[in-house]
Amino acid sequence: MPDGGERSVRWKGRPLDVRPGESLARALARARRPLLTRSIRYHRPRAPACGIGHCTSCLVRVEGRPNVRACRYEPENGERIETENGWPSTGFDLLALVDPIFPGGIDTLHGFRRPAFATPLFQRVVRRLAGFGALADGAPPDPTLAPELRTTDLLVIGGGRSARAFVEALGPRTPPPLLLERGRLDRPIPGAEVRERTTAVFLPRPASGGASFAVLAIEEGGGALQITARAVVVAVGGYDATLWFAGSDRPGVYPADGAEALGPSAGEPPFRRAVVVGGGDRVAALLGAWADRIEAVVGPGPVGPEVAKRASEAGVPIYPRTLLLEARGRRRVAAVRLAARGGGRRFTVACDAVVLAHRRLPNPQLLFQAGAAMEWRGGTGAYYPRLGPGLATTVPGLFAIGEAAGFEGAASTESGRALAAALTGATVPPLPDRVRAEGPSELAGYYAELVGSLPRRAKTIACACEDVLLRELAECHELGYRGIEVAKRYTGLGTGLYQGRYCVPEAILLLSAWEGRPPPEVGFITQRPPVVPAPLGALAGLARPEAE
Amino acid sequence: MSAPAKPRYRIVIVGGGIVGLFTSYHLAKAGAGPILVLERGFLSSGASGRNGGGVRQQWETRATIRLAREAVQEYRRFGREFGYNPWFRQGGYLFLAETRTEIARLHSVHETVRSEGLPSRELAPEEVREIAPAISPEGIVGGTFLDSDGTLYPFPVLWAVYEKARSLGVEVALGVEALGIVRDRGRVAGVATPSGTIGADVVVNAAGGWSAELSRRAGLPVENTPTRHEILATEPVKPCLDPMVIRLSDGLYVSQTMRGELVGGRSMPHAPGTEGGMSTSPEFLPSMARSLVRLIPRAASLGVLRAWSGYYDDTPDGLPVIGEDPRLPGFVHANGFGGHGFMLAPASTRRVAKAALGEAIDLDPGAFGPARFLDPDRRAVPEHLQPG
Ligand SMILES: Cc1cc2nc3c(=O)[nH]c(=O)nc-3n(C[C@H](O)[C@H](O)[C@H](O)COP(=O)(O)OP(=O)(O)OC[C@H]3O[C@@H](n4cnc5c(N)ncnc54)[C@H](O)[C@@H]3O)c2cc1C
Ligand code: FES
Repeated sequence: MPDGGERSVRWKGRPLDVRPGESLARALARARRPLLTRSIRYHRPRAPACGIGHCTSCLVRVEGRPNVRACRYEPENGERIETENGWPSTGFDLLALVDPIFPGGIDTLHGFRRPAFATPLFQRVVRRLAGFGALADGAPPDPTLAPELRTTDLLVIGGGRSARAFVEALGPRTPPPLLLERGRLDRPIPGAEVRERTTAVFLPRPASGGASFAVLAIEEGGGALQITARAVVVAVGGYDATLWFAGSDRPGVYPADGAEALGPSAGEPPFRRAVVVGGGDRVAALLGAWADRIEAVVGPGPVGPEVAKRASEAGVPIYPRTLLLEARGRRRVAAVRLAARGGGRRFTVACDAVVLAHRRLPNPQLLFQAGAAMEWRGGTGAYYPRLGPGLATTVPGLFAIGEAAGFEGAASTESGRALAAALTGATVPPLPDRVRAEGPSELAGYYAELVGSLPRRAKTIACACEDVLLRELAECHELGYRGIEVAKRYTGLGTGLYQGRYCVPEAILLLSAWEGRPPPEVGFITQRPPVVPAPLGALAGLARPEAE
Repeated sequence: MSAPAKPRYRIVIVGGGIVGLFTSYHLAKAGAGPILVLERGFLSSGASGRNGGGVRQQWETRATIRLAREAVQEYRRFGREFGYNPWFRQGGYLFLAETRTEIARLHSVHETVRSEGLPSRELAPEEVREIAPAISPEGIVGGTFLDSDGTLYPFPVLWAVYEKARSLGVEVALGVEALGIVRDRGRVAGVATPSGTIGADVVVNAAGGWSAELSRRAGLPVENTPTRHEILATEPVKPCLDPMVIRLSDGLYVSQTMRGELVGGRSMPHAPGTEGGMSTSPEFLPSMARSLVRLIPRAASLGVLRAWSGYYDDTPDGLPVIGEDPRLPGFVHANGFGGHGFMLAPASTRRVAKAALGEAIDLDPGAFGPARFLDPDRRAVPEHLQPG
């Protein structure tokens, strides 16, 4: 940041103050000015949800550039920022009428086929509903952006606890390892050259490129780096999964990451009274921090002893083994509808938020992309790299530590230290425990049960990037289509802006239950590069592989 | 995996892409008897699930123009007949020229297309701007445009044809590979699979990029070659591009889907063969991004969501191969569709079905028949207008 000071931007034409290091989403929360966006197909109201740049519900237009994520964006002084995808505005969007008019959804696969003369009209309307923002107002004088070229022996991707432990244990090195962090670090990591707010993607390796890795790193501020690295440590951590229920896309529903990132300040949550979903460590921690703001704890499965203890101390009711059927409310969540599992009673709890803290998932994209062999671990219901001794993946020179590799909590730190030992030739301590490999995920049975109980009149959005309904996934299955690859192509699930990060893990579990076969047989959608949206301008500026 | 139910079929079609499925549909509709489609991957795993959805009638060769014109009519009706909406949007195809030579080339295509009764137009640079205002005018000296060309969404077409064919009794075995062709007394007798031989009077080679491999497994050398083609999709934006745009100089093609993504590719110097897999090469993203921002500079800030590749089944003369192989009675070709098999499918497979039933077909055998590669005197007039 050039000045590092307070800045003022124009948000929808009115001034808004933004503090140094503060995202636009947080600045808006602090100013108590809601950020409302619209979804792609039904123009449903959306508000920032994940807070970590993984969903599509905080897109805004900055200085005429479309689809900028407010939760990641730290505005420059004087910038004009607008909402997008609503007409005449996102607050009063006439296109949003399609949502209530078609409670069961618009069937674009089978619908709009008659009468023939209306085809062009249907196409115009559907095109108008689609897309988020409009193409940029103008083009930079040189639309290609030449990235900074870097070569390093050791690249660390991710700056969480495992990466920190790794760099600290590695000790001083010249030159220091290059470390890229998508967000901001909570405190500096001495011993590494750190680039914050920088997202890495693997580029396909040139056949002649030898053993090195090619990485494109995109900076939030608009720049880019093209990195050639001899060895790469993937320490990209994890994220809180979503959960499917009617209205799960409604403003006020947050994966726990979002509850942490989107409040008016770091310690304050973006809600008054929340229903928290889950029963493990993550919920216990939330109870520790915000007990007075938690209305109830709902467990899709059993609730752990620590959660039970803290909840009873704080007088928070617990509903273990409970289906979350629906989040109700107009613009924002006002209540949740619950049902005890196994056909038990249905009841309603008033709240202004739902926090999803029932399941942490690893970020497997980079590892898939780099070609590491991956294995399914039923404990969380996700894919992790197959690891050899010394935390090596099956790709020479590629290592994985922390949550992305299946090391949670304290094990995450230990995995970072163990890798440092392995790379410096010291005695490698025994590897800490990883996420359980065996066992069907609790959630597979949960979903199989949930589907029959969902309300009919409300939409259950399975893929929020593309507004794909759970009903459409069910239809695809009923017609006899099998496997996630075909389901993706049939419904469009997982093909949106964030390439299935939230919806695909859930879909795999549900399809596994429906198809009666283990999740790995249902498959995983191919991680097609660049996985994270990489601007055409930055790709156009890449040095040609021949020139390396 | 779904194993075939019967020990023998009248016709076995190898390849469950659009060509194989559409052929099976025409055959079942004609009451051809037990039909089996063998697909070694999942449905849509071949080129039919990886293409750009372009449909055009602007070609150099009359034979192709006629087939394409018929296919356009079929796709216009498709939604009403098949129950799925293909979202066939006739936004036109806009060819761009940047040199005099390219103008001359487009001019000659334009003359042929017009003489076939299609109202193609030659455009001055200002008219190009009117049709596609997002395009940078730099370097463009002219173009041609045919407004009844367009784009469709391939998946609903695949599902529709698959479901219709099955409802007419066609069996589709997924995850089953054709390992070889069994002969008896000089003609086709069946197909070898990992779980044994399946009897067949006729085998149709609709194996797309792997058709040459299958022909060779049948003991028939052919001139088809698979070539890898790459394609990408950007994040979805509001409507900004109506036609499919093709630039001759770098073979760039790009259109905007109904969902708002820009989807396209360009010519790349890939060596023939299927070794490249289905992923992205190191050269593609930078080359394609450079081509695309040169065409639409305002797209520079747009994110690329994904890139992937598939295989064209190319022939030396750029024309498909349709008909029975004279060297092996009962072995029918339905391949060599290059980058245009999807758009031609409704029309081309009608002829494949007839050939499989031993009926005469109304196509110029010189242009499409397999015999043209066996006899140097019967070489066809080639089709060179390949990009997009
Ligand atoms: C990037 C790209 C863009 C394209 N753009 C367009 C476009 O805009 N417009 C257009 O019309 N066309 C386009 N095409 C071409 C079009 O996709 C193909 O011509 C068409 O899909 C071919 O259909 P098919 O059924 O012959 O082949 P495929 O869809 O490839 O089907 C062949 C199937 O055969 C199976 N198979 C192969 N060998 C065996 C075996 N031994 N046993 C069992 N199964 C086997 C394969 O698994 C495969 O599924 C494009 C292609 C690519 C790759
Ligand atoms: S809240 Fe910004 S991407 Fe999810």
